[in-house]
Amino acid sequence: MTPEPTDGTASRSRSGNSFPGDVWVNFVRWNIKAVRNPFVLVVSLVQPIIFLILFTQVFGQVATGAVNQGAVDISYETYLVPAICMQVALAAAATSGVGLVNDIENGMFEKVLVSPMNRTAVFLGKTAAEVVRIAAQITIIIGLGVVLGAEVATGVVGAVGIVLVGILFSFWFVALSNTLAVLTRDQESTIIGANLLQFPLLFVSTAFLPLAVLPGWIQVVARFNPVTYGVDAARAIMLGRDVMTVVEVTAFGGVYDTLVPAVAVLLGLAIVFGSVAVYMLQRASSANVQ
Amino acid sequence: MSDRPTSDGPSDASRPAIAMDGVELTYADGTAAVRGIDLTVPTGECFGFLGPNGAGKTTTIKTLVTLLRPTAGAIRINGFDVEREGRAVRETVGYMSQETSIDPELTARENLRFACDAYGVPRRERADRIDELLDLVDLAAVADKRTDDFSGGMKKRLDAATALVHRPPLVFLDEPTTGLDPKARNRLWEYFRSINDRGTTIFLTTQYLEEADALCDRLAVILDGEIVSEGSPAELKREVGGEILEVSVAGEAATREGAADIARAVDLFEADAAVDVTDDGIAVTSERARSNGTDLLVALRDADIQVTGFNVRAPTLDDVFLAITGEHVDVEVAEPEGALTADGGERA
Repeated sequence: MTPEPTDGTASRSRSGNSFPGDVWVNFVRWNIKAVRNPFVLVVSLVQPIIFLILFTQVFGQVATGAVNQGAVDISYETYLVPAICMQVALAAAATSGVGLVNDIENGMFEKVLVSPMNRTAVFLGKTAAEVVRIAAQITIIIGLGVVLGAEVATGVVGAVGIVLVGILFSFWFVALSNTLAVLTRDQESTIIGANLLQFPLLFVSTAFLPLAVLPGWIQVVARFNPVTYGVDAARAIMLGRDVMTVVEVTAFGGVYDTLVPAVAVLLGLAIVFGSVAVYMLQRASSANVQ
Repeated sequence: MSDRPTSDGPSDASRPAIAMDGVELTYADGTAAVRGIDLTVPTGECFGFLGPNGAGKTTTIKTLVTLLRPTAGAIRINGFDVEREGRAVRETVGYMSQETSIDPELTARENLRFACDAYGVPRRERADRIDELLDLVDLAAVADKRTDDFSGGMKKRLDAATALVHRPPLVFLDEPTTGLDPKARNRLWEYFRSINDRGTTIFLTTQYLEEADALCDRLAVILDGEIVSEGSPAELKREVGGEILEVSVAGEAATREGAADIARAVDLFEADAAVDVTDDGIAVTSERARSNGTDLLVALRDADIQVTGFNVRAPTLDDVFLAITGEHVDVEVAEPEGALTADGGERA
């Protein structure tokens, strides 16, 4: 049968759509796409896993001394796992914009824009699907870390906390990747742009070594590097104590002396970068959609 | 139109599907793509926008479906203002863009399901409606296959189906058959006719006079962002003056002039039939080009002019522009024949 003539009144009465409904529809679509592309899921895990294994094997002996200046006995595995978790979040977030570029290229972006779906809900749904992926990948890394000998001092609750920190940490990079996507509208530029940033960001942070043993200029950069805040938050949970040295807070006690400032910084970054991305997306969807 | 109160717009049966009043659109780089269009399309009509590449067809259609914001003027779609009631506009129109827009990682059925979800088709109706549409566009057999392997025609048909899941009263089709082979094109035409027969208003853009002729009740010819002519396909073709008989002759320019003189002198065509000298012969535009063409060939032979070829063809967009504006336009002659992929259920 063919679509029947409907007058404006009839077709205007909305049937099933609501804001959560629109989020859900897009969440489902992006999850189907992710499952259809297991290659992406696997590849984005491979590099962090290689880092985890090689770094602990190659630098383990040397680094253990550096990370144990406080005389507490931590294995380098335990020290490194939170950093690798953030690396996974970065790598997954970097691919977020690629999905957007694909959508722009195959016309789905425009198709979604001419539908009555709420545009914020559309992007929330896509981001939610990416968050699920990031959560799954961080869980895998923590599990692997434990197998390799890492210890989560705060137990299962702490592991869940690390996953949550990873998700919060990913938002600014998801936003950045999508901003690059809208600016370049090109897959390769989006991947290269995000990847170029990924490695320097990791190395000029507290990811692999404590702030104190890093050269002076890196210490300065590390203070302004979002990775430091993600890694410190995850590491505080991993070790069950305050590890942050870029910002010294003592008001909350223990783990929270790291978590509270780190989460505040990450939230702020998410809001700032998220606003830019939302602005860029809105501009792209209302101006020259050529 | 623009002073009609919002509240009675949607429920007024006599309101036009599209009402454009002094619409202009200038891009950020200063390009004036649409330069003052006034247009009313009544409900139930199939209306065509005919024009060459770069005339402003796509810009206009994107403005009508809320993808672009007009720089000046007012637009009401199904009674709703595009700027203030964008969501209501989006709920009551279907849009098929020039580039096929489907998710290649999803199956045909999943693409349709996503469209149903996006337009809020009631949950209990979704499965039936998807099956209906798959049947209608002949994709039921490949419903659960991923669409990245589909041929160009199959993708277009699926795209058309996704634009109609919510049974919109108004559908926009931006060059719906560009790049398709004749078989795939005819199939889509049938489909568009059937939805128009059931009362759906269609607004389409095309570069092919043939397509406009086959589908549209009324046409506007657009050039450089302005409507240069408006009327039924028959009226437009009348402006051209019929079909075109092209005759190639051997010899120099003088021979061609001689041939043209003969064509003007013989009592075979209307008095106002156009006779033009071309690069290799002459062209006669006449209602009687087909019926009396052979008599002209005989007359040329009797005058010892050697005819090396002849052809009778329907007027093209270029002929329409020549008739209306007196100028040739740069029509991308991607006539559908011989273009792109094969079709008919098989893979590309």
